[in-house]
Amino acid sequence: MTEIQAMLSIKDLRTTVGSRKVLDGLSLQVSAGEVHAIMGPNGSGKSTLAFTLAGRPGYDVTGGSVSYCGEDLLSLEPEARAQRGLFLGFQYPVEIPGVNNVYLLKAALNAARKQRGLPEVDALEFLMLVREKMKIMQMDESFLSRGVNEGFSGGEKKRNEILQMLVLEPSLAVLDEADSGLDIDALKVVANGVNALRAPDRAIVLVTHYQRLLDYIKPDRVHVLACGKIIRSGGPELARELEARGYDWLLIEAA
Amino acid sequence: MSALPATMPTPRDEHWKYANLRGLARARFEPSVSPPAETVARITAALPKPLEGFERIVLIDGFVSSVSSTPSAFTTTSPISIAKLNADRYFLELNRRLRSDTLRLAVARHQKRSVEVVVVSLGTSHPAIEIALAEGAELSLIERHLPLSADATVINLVIFAVVGVHAQFELSRIVQASPKAQHVETIELRLCEGSASKFFQLTTGAALSRTTAFAAHDGRDSSLEWHAAALGEGTQSHDAFVHVAHSAPSAKTLQQFRGIAADRSRVSFTGHMRVDTNAPYAQCDQSLKCLLTGSEAEADVRPQLEILTDAVRASHGATVGKLDPDMLFYLLSRGIPEESASSLLKWAFVSDVLRRLSNPAIRAEIEYSLERVLPGAVAARSGT
Repeated sequence: MTEIQAMLSIKDLRTTVGSRKVLDGLSLQVSAGEVHAIMGPNGSGKSTLAFTLAGRPGYDVTGGSVSYCGEDLLSLEPEARAQRGLFLGFQYPVEIPGVNNVYLLKAALNAARKQRGLPEVDALEFLMLVREKMKIMQMDESFLSRGVNEGFSGGEKKRNEILQMLVLEPSLAVLDEADSGLDIDALKVVANGVNALRAPDRAIVLVTHYQRLLDYIKPDRVHVLACGKIIRSGGPELARELEARGYDWLLIEAA
Repeated sequence: MSALPATMPTPRDEHWKYANLRGLARARFEPSVSPPAETVARITAALPKPLEGFERIVLIDGFVSSVSSTPSAFTTTSPISIAKLNADRYFLELNRRLRSDTLRLAVARHQKRSVEVVVVSLGTSHPAIEIALAEGAELSLIERHLPLSADATVINLVIFAVVGVHAQFELSRIVQASPKAQHVETIELRLCEGSASKFFQLTTGAALSRTTAFAAHDGRDSSLEWHAAALGEGTQSHDAFVHVAHSAPSAKTLQQFRGIAADRSRVSFTGHMRVDTNAPYAQCDQSLKCLLTGSEAEADVRPQLEILTDAVRASHGATVGKLDPDMLFYLLSRGIPEESASSLLKWAFVSDVLRRLSNPAIRAEIEYSLERVLPGAVAARSGT
């Protein structure tokens, strides 16, 4: 794999949150068609990586570069990143009472279509698309008319994140702990949703604590993030090894 | 004209602390002049379609101009003001002296009416609406102010309503004044035993607006919901003082206010509730919130509970804050442009109040009025 082919190329990324240095020289290459898992102990910077890529205010990049589909990602506003096909699945999806779920889906889809020079989605076509994706996520249609994540259980919020992802069909999905707080049935549904997105022209970055998600979504590469940088990369076997041995041995090696 | 028995409020009057008194002092409260027939015809032709199922009444500069069906005879005489302080009565008494017509709406025993009152102000006006609901009567009243004049209009409006025993009253007001308008209003509600009243108000536009309202639970088991929203932009000033008196047992009041102060505007709301010694088992809930979206904007919300009896359930909360950065980022991360995202969140904030509207026709009217100041609001609600 050459760097030119990589859909996402992160080099020596340094991010501070407030006065705290969190990412400290992180480098990562993700190519189209690949699924990468980022694992690591609490506080290692996994969520910071996800938020930095999505452009969350307060996550200040102090060094390094991020290239996404040949563009300088860091120079784009958060909405422009999303419009170009970057999707962030939140660990804690936000409730927005008063803003209708279906409206958000449609507005987000149209914003991405506008960026690609396409007309607004036809109402009937949109409804059929949403229904099809809801079936995958085993969601009831009544969710559509409710406020965004309003009164949803933790599992419903996670399903809703994946539903949004399936409707938007992003080129790069960064999913921050898509499995946290899910029972085993909900985990399978979420994993099915993520697998439904896999395609040769798309990439997925999964941020997770546990091997169990990777039983259902097979990653091409597994990385260990600790102390703000990738300290080990490997294949799916690395996740199993981490499950068995924990992170300490790697931290000692890295030190 | 002889001196008024009440005196113009000053900043020292507690209830008027946040009102734009300098602006009000400059307003010229003159007797209104009957609009010429051609003006009435021109305005009538320009009015939006009447609401289905509602009788329409049009007030132009305080004169009753057209009535689609004849209102029933009014049954009460000379309402007595429940405003105690001199300053609070000032604009009410000014209205009584200078008003032209008084629109009287009555609903007979166990009868139902749905009425739409369209208020148009072209110069100076003192509209007066007096409402009486007999026992078991139901009235759904929508009062819509249309900003048809670009001039600096002055309006001093009075609404007085008696909600009879077990009567149901829903008053929905869209106070959308023209940008240079000066808008003052005094509202009084008397709530009889077992009556249920719902009040909604959306205030937008107007250089300055001031609402002074008094509601009294005169009968036991009466209930009042007071939901209001005000959106300030530019240098507008929107101020409201709402006093609710519990004077009989087991009455309920729910009061909600949502204000948004953008640019250099000032939005304020004081909700004062008093539970008298002879009004035990009252329930009083207040939720007053303001959103500051302008760097030079100002917002003041004051919940005030004065409870003189022990058996009361009461809650109150007041907040002034900015747009939630987590919500904003969530929308941005979905590709929604920042301006639309802010507008959606403001809509979401105000919809907290509007979701209480039970009549879909009225809700649609109010939502479409909001669309002017918060583009995308209607779509966000309906998902269309």
